[in-house]
Amino acid sequence: MITYPKYLDRSETPVVRLIGLGNAGVNLADRISMGGRLDIETVAINSDQQSLSSSVASTKISLGPLTTRGLGAGGDPEIGLDAARESEADLEAAVAGADIIFLCAGLGGGTGSGAAGLLARAAKKSDVLLLAIITSPFAFEGRRRSAQAAAALREISESADAVIHFENDRMAELSEPRQGVAETFSCCDELLGGCVESVVRLVSAPGPLGVGLPDLLAVLRGGDGNCLFGTSSASGDNRAHEALEEALASPLLDQGRLLDDASSVLIHISGPPSLSFAEVGAIMREISKKTPDSSLLHVGVSTLPDHAAPLVLSLIAKCGAARSAAAPQPRAEPSTRRPEARRLEREAPPVESEPLPSQDSFIGPDPAPPLRPPQRTAPRQPQPEPRPEPKAPAQKVKQETLQFEPVARGRFEKIAPTIIEGEDLDVPTFLRLGGKKH
Amino acid sequence: MAREDFHVGLEIGTTKICAVVAECRPDGEIRLLGVGEAPSRGVRKGEIVDFENACSCVREALSDAEEKSEIEIRSVWLAVTGSHIQSFNNRGSVVIADESGEITDDEILEVEYKAKEISLPRENTILHSIIQHYYVDGQQGVLNPVGMLGSRLEADFHIIHGVTNRIQNSIRCVKECNVEVDDVVVNSLASAQVVLDQHQKESGAIVVDIGGGVTDYIVYLDGAVRHSGVLAVGGDHITNDISLGLRIPITRAEKLKLEEGSATLGKSLPGDKIVLKNDTGFSGKEVEREMLNMIIHARVEELFTLLRKRLGDEVPQHLLGSGVMLTGGCSMIRGIREVAESVFEMPVQLTRAQAVSGPTSAFENPQFSTCIGLAKYGQAVRSESPDESFGGRVLRKFGRMFRLPF
Repeated sequence: MITYPKYLDRSETPVVRLIGLGNAGVNLADRISMGGRLDIETVAINSDQQSLSSSVASTKISLGPLTTRGLGAGGDPEIGLDAARESEADLEAAVAGADIIFLCAGLGGGTGSGAAGLLARAAKKSDVLLLAIITSPFAFEGRRRSAQAAAALREISESADAVIHFENDRMAELSEPRQGVAETFSCCDELLGGCVESVVRLVSAPGPLGVGLPDLLAVLRGGDGNCLFGTSSASGDNRAHEALEEALASPLLDQGRLLDDASSVLIHISGPPSLSFAEVGAIMREISKKTPDSSLLHVGVSTLPDHAAPLVLSLIAKCGAARSAAAPQPRAEPSTRRPEARRLEREAPPVESEPLPSQDSFIGPDPAPPLRPPQRTAPRQPQPEPRPEPKAPAQKVKQETLQFEPVARGRFEKIAPTIIEGEDLDVPTFLRLGGKKH
Repeated sequence: MAREDFHVGLEIGTTKICAVVAECRPDGEIRLLGVGEAPSRGVRKGEIVDFENACSCVREALSDAEEKSEIEIRSVWLAVTGSHIQSFNNRGSVVIADESGEITDDEILEVEYKAKEISLPRENTILHSIIQHYYVDGQQGVLNPVGMLGSRLEADFHIIHGVTNRIQNSIRCVKECNVEVDDVVVNSLASAQVVLDQHQKESGAIVVDIGGGVTDYIVYLDGAVRHSGVLAVGGDHITNDISLGLRIPITRAEKLKLEEGSATLGKSLPGDKIVLKNDTGFSGKEVEREMLNMIIHARVEELFTLLRKRLGDEVPQHLLGSGVMLTGGCSMIRGIREVAESVFEMPVQLTRAQAVSGPTSAFENPQFSTCIGLAKYGQAVRSESPDESFGGRVLRKFGRMFRLPF
């Protein structure tokens, strides 16, 4: 089933598997795998035959064919659980043989809420690092769903090594008020997909300052299962600063404020050969300002041979590990969180945890083996930032016909550009039109 | 002599900061008592980039206005603009719970609350929610449903929102000068108060206020605000284009734009040159008039084309009976009306504050439209809710009802 090449000296390399559970989970897993930036194995598990048949996953498991007759759980977690029990052997087979499993599920419905706990326990039993990527229902779906989601989340956090939790209600932050529904959902999927990619990249990229599975384990193990995630990429002169800003702006990090509570943080920076030590230093200094003194920082730096590669920054933080002994309830929130975050969390479904899947076992003695040629990671560009950042000014300027600098912005040089329909309006109109007019 | 009923409008513009003290007569006429002005520093594209400099300019403008009007300014109506300001229309709806089915003020408030229940980015705040029309049980075009009977009340609102911190920056800048802010008003809404009369609002009109840093626009149709917005392009851009295109310093470019520039092409003789005299640090130069006009024309035409494109999606142009009203400092550029007419394909007028008395130099200058409009807006809001304490807490008022009688 697993097709990764085994390198001569490495007896084992981490096997990563992406499992989509339930309708929402299968959709998310499909989106991530269709993004084509990762070649990991996907498994779709659902009690709804129709959703399975349209999925692009390489392996599909129909849950409880006798219980539901392939018609889905109809929003009832009890039915979901019955179906999962019926297919327990299939679930165990699905997790067997992997080292890292990403479990995508949307809570609040039948299959996701009902079967996720069982699947998580199966993963735990076979000693797999399980990172659950969970979305909780919109508030407008009613309290009952929220309650189902909260119960399921508790169950998952008991077995999963890390839980990345995204509340659908926060989707509004990702998009403009008038953006289309499909676009809004894809922003959300993009964000969560970014988390998966950054973990995969992290354990596979070689570098002068490597991080690997052991570091990931160290960050994720223990604690209450809540994880924070931020990922971003930037290029250009100010890339270090921009990447940091963007990573902290991730809705999963809440402008970096949630880092206050981090007990350990894993930072991975990858970039082109021109990535300088000073840039790494600047990023790290900023991050250490945002984290408490007591937190343990793991830093990984890798460079890619591609000169055009952007600087990619990933942050994974575990919160409240120190507290976990005292607070057995996974959802007990530390008091240092912003009041707003706490308020959100107390509302029906757990709100703000961005847990990562964690792992219990890793495979090789050396957890950071060069799994793949490094270029593979270059093109991916997770974009958690909802607001359209100004892109490079549209350079339609015809330099041959006019003797000016390619992009002349004059007095507007140092201030935020006005970009409309891809044109930088601060560049004189006649320059942009130059070619057309004459 | 103590004048009770006066309002002060303050606009922190990109090129200048102006404060207008106006007396509002009961008949709705505005009489200007004094206009204070100060050149602006630390403002770009309508937003503050250098807080301390901007504060000292605001102080200068306010004390100038106090001197001229002989009135002590305690609170102002503040205009805000900037590319972060956006708008959209939304409909709220409530079911009338009361058994008698009578619509009361409570339902009116609730329907507005419902219309504002939309998901905005967390850092944004709603500046204005302006009623467009009510619907009672689906009956359209109800202007004031209080006292009517019905089972369902719906209302269309035009909602203008912006980034809280950027709006707060302007407010803090004023508070630094120990002056309270009555409320913040979006530039375009303020300008429209004095540029348009009731008839024009009914028949439909676009107000385009081209300032130094930004262009504010607002569309009225059937007496209600249909659309509004901000485009972060203004007179500064023209000056910048000239400076880059002709390779002359910014200050020279500004002067050239005001004295010689025109937005229409083909009016000058071929080879017609403008001689720029030498000056310290500038060795003098000859520039072709047609080149200058081409630069201005390209920018102005692009600006109007962008506007038309934005409005075209939202507003059926053939319904706008009163056409386009140009105002703001940049509307004084020669030939701008012709360009606007050819782009919008409808009548364009250069306008300024109407139904105003006082020093003509002030109200005839389109640069002051926004400021005078602020004073009128203040009067309108105040006469709607006279009990409200003067100089109340601004932020608390965000989201308060602005049912303008226009």
